[in-house]
Amino acid sequence: MAKAVGIDLGTTNSVVAVMEGGQPTVIINSEGSRLTPSVVAFTKTGERLVGQIAKRQAVLNPENTIYSAKRFIGRRFSEVQSEIKNVPYKVVAGPNDAVRFEMMGKQYAPEEISAQVLRKLADDAAKYLGEKVTDAVITVPAYFNDAQRQATKDAGKIAGLNVLRIINEPTAASLAYGLDKKKNETIMVFDLGGGTFDVSILDVGDGVFEVRATSGDTHLGGDDFDKRLVDWLAEEFRRQQGIDLRKDRQALQRLTEAAEKAKIELSSALETTISLPFVTADATGPKHLEMKLTRAKFDQLTADLVERCVGPVKQALSDAKISERDIDEVILVGGSTRTPAVQSLVRRLTGGKEPNQSVNPDEVVAVGAAIQAAVLAGEVKNVVLLDVTPLSLGVETLGGVMTKLIERNTTIPVRKSEIFSTAEDNQAAVDIHVLQGERELARDNRTLGNFRLEGIRPAPRGAAQIEVTFDIDANGILTVTAKDKQSGKEQRITISGSTQLSKEEIDRMVADAQAHSVEDRKRREEVEARNNADSMAYQVERQIRELGDRVPLNEKARAEQLIADIRELVKNNSSDVARLRQLTSDLQQIASGLASAAYSQASSGAQGGRPGGTPPGGGDDVIDAEFKET
Amino acid sequence: MEATDENKNRTTGEAPAEIERLKEELRREHEMYLRALADFDNYRRRVARERLNTVRSGKREIVLPLLDVLDGFDLALAHMGDAPASVTEGLEALRRKLLGLLEAQGISPIVSLGETFNPELHDAVGTVESETFESGAVAEEVQRGYRWGDDVLRPTRVRVAR
Repeated sequence: MAKAVGIDLGTTNSVVAVMEGGQPTVIINSEGSRLTPSVVAFTKTGERLVGQIAKRQAVLNPENTIYSAKRFIGRRFSEVQSEIKNVPYKVVAGPNDAVRFEMMGKQYAPEEISAQVLRKLADDAAKYLGEKVTDAVITVPAYFNDAQRQATKDAGKIAGLNVLRIINEPTAASLAYGLDKKKNETIMVFDLGGGTFDVSILDVGDGVFEVRATSGDTHLGGDDFDKRLVDWLAEEFRRQQGIDLRKDRQALQRLTEAAEKAKIELSSALETTISLPFVTADATGPKHLEMKLTRAKFDQLTADLVERCVGPVKQALSDAKISERDIDEVILVGGSTRTPAVQSLVRRLTGGKEPNQSVNPDEVVAVGAAIQAAVLAGEVKNVVLLDVTPLSLGVETLGGVMTKLIERNTTIPVRKSEIFSTAEDNQAAVDIHVLQGERELARDNRTLGNFRLEGIRPAPRGAAQIEVTFDIDANGILTVTAKDKQSGKEQRITISGSTQLSKEEIDRMVADAQAHSVEDRKRREEVEARNNADSMAYQVERQIRELGDRVPLNEKARAEQLIADIRELVKNNSSDVARLRQLTSDLQQIASGLASAAYSQASSGAQGGRPGGTPPGGGDDVIDAEFKET
Repeated sequence: MEATDENKNRTTGEAPAEIERLKEELRREHEMYLRALADFDNYRRRVARERLNTVRSGKREIVLPLLDVLDGFDLALAHMGDAPASVTEGLEALRRKLLGLLEAQGISPIVSLGETFNPELHDAVGTVESETFESGAVAEEVQRGYRWGDDVLRPTRVRVAR
């Protein structure tokens, strides 16, 4: 079954995503990156390079390295004169005033170049998914005309893809936020990428998006912010050291990288240090660049760039004949929208509305395209939305603690079972108290049901094996079964609605558990310390009884004293964990002493062939907890 | 009696349609089941494949900035000039120590000088006139690149002979 992917074919970078098990996943390319540069190169040896690799050789081969093909796709040669000035490769007029790139005497249409990028993305997706990729949804800017859309579609075809649909980038972004489910809303998509700025106003109703207005600046983006920073750093350095770093290509490159890194850091920090040791040298020796940069300074340096976004936003609003108050949702797209100054500008221009930005702004368009692709390929319709258990489920065990069988947020259907045992000798019945919640103690959690398993074969405490199974089917119906492995006796309860809690209720229960986690853990420790001490007391008591007069009197007296102490503490529900643990370990020591003494006596033949004492724990390692007879 | 007959008729009248509907539903359900199985199987295989990468991508975050520090040593050593030999030796020892630490993780420098430019391993920042190297070969390493096992951790930044 071939997968349908969503592709954001960008001016600078492209992204491919796919729906998997109902969730969108951005695909990592063969170089290990989530972004693939939209760059294609033809080398002198006739090789064709795409993406990062093509970018690395661009300076050696500028006339045969095509980037920004998107600025040319589907356009007439006469329309792109100003774009041609910005690129080092040769752009010529083809038949019918079409745009052609000329490389090594051959002409290529922009769609052929874009096809190379699409092919690489599809191949990387296929490698990642382990299956063929044939179908795709490709995004284009909302302002693309029919010719540009058709050419993008053709690029897909050339790449061997079945283009399910060409959709608008702002529409894809809206889909990524599930806004298609909204009724009659107005959405503003603010897209500030590496080199382009687009703002779109959309209307959504009945799952259909309509573009009301678009505006933007085809030459404004994150690269301009970086350049501002580079210029400032270089200028400061020149003032201090008298050397212009922009004249040294290697220094400039290091400076550009450091500027981009500083810009990214200032999205979360208020101050950063730019440090480039040995950035250059003169007759007096090596020079280091070490500068502090505050966010305030950065904002000041880039204020006019941010301001350049205002015009297009106002234009789009006026074209759509609406005011900022009419906007219901704002979506941020493009890495540069991480800049705090850009975000506050967007808030300012939309009447203080909090923008949607939970989906990575570099990937949100591809994610939306992937969702659309899955819908068109019929996957989403068919995908069962797998539910999860909102809270943990378990049973009450000895001492009133909750033992969880199914952890919260486990995907259902699910089945888990565990073996428990009895807490008393000859215990004939166990009570199964089914619980839901995150607290350590049973009484703090929600009771889903109770039942009793009777007719357990008489056995010493800890010997019976009671298998408890929790089974939640796809509809969230929980069946709890308890079975005595020896007698085969079985009892069950079915509880529906264990997953149908309100969100508030779930949140409250989870928050409660977090708030009480420290004291709960302490109380659980106490219970466990008491249980362990009591169980050790029981074992040693039995051991002494079985060994009879083979137990040295002084050992026996000490053991009995310890057992008495433990019983006293357990009876009083003592919370003295340290003392309980001490007594347990003292008793444990005596127990192992007794066992080996009895063993050596037995093997020396003093008492004939009688079997030695039962080792602690009754030789049964499946006991996880014990039920208490109530 | 009459009522029973009516019931019977109604049942038989609806049966073929109902059977068809159920068949269709079963077919859909079965397909969904197969899809889920396939998705899971692919997922499992990929998780196994990615386990190594995950460990690596975790280390990457610390390893890449360390390369930056290593670059610093390279630059410092290139600028030693008149510094006493003992300072240079000390710095070299520090550099070796850091490199050794990275080598223990399977990271090794890419040897580039004189090799034919290869964009898989090299990131070109420019060209230079060279008498030593023939045209198209790496004439100068501006920033050393590193491999991590078979992968390129960071390409070498180079100038290529014209």
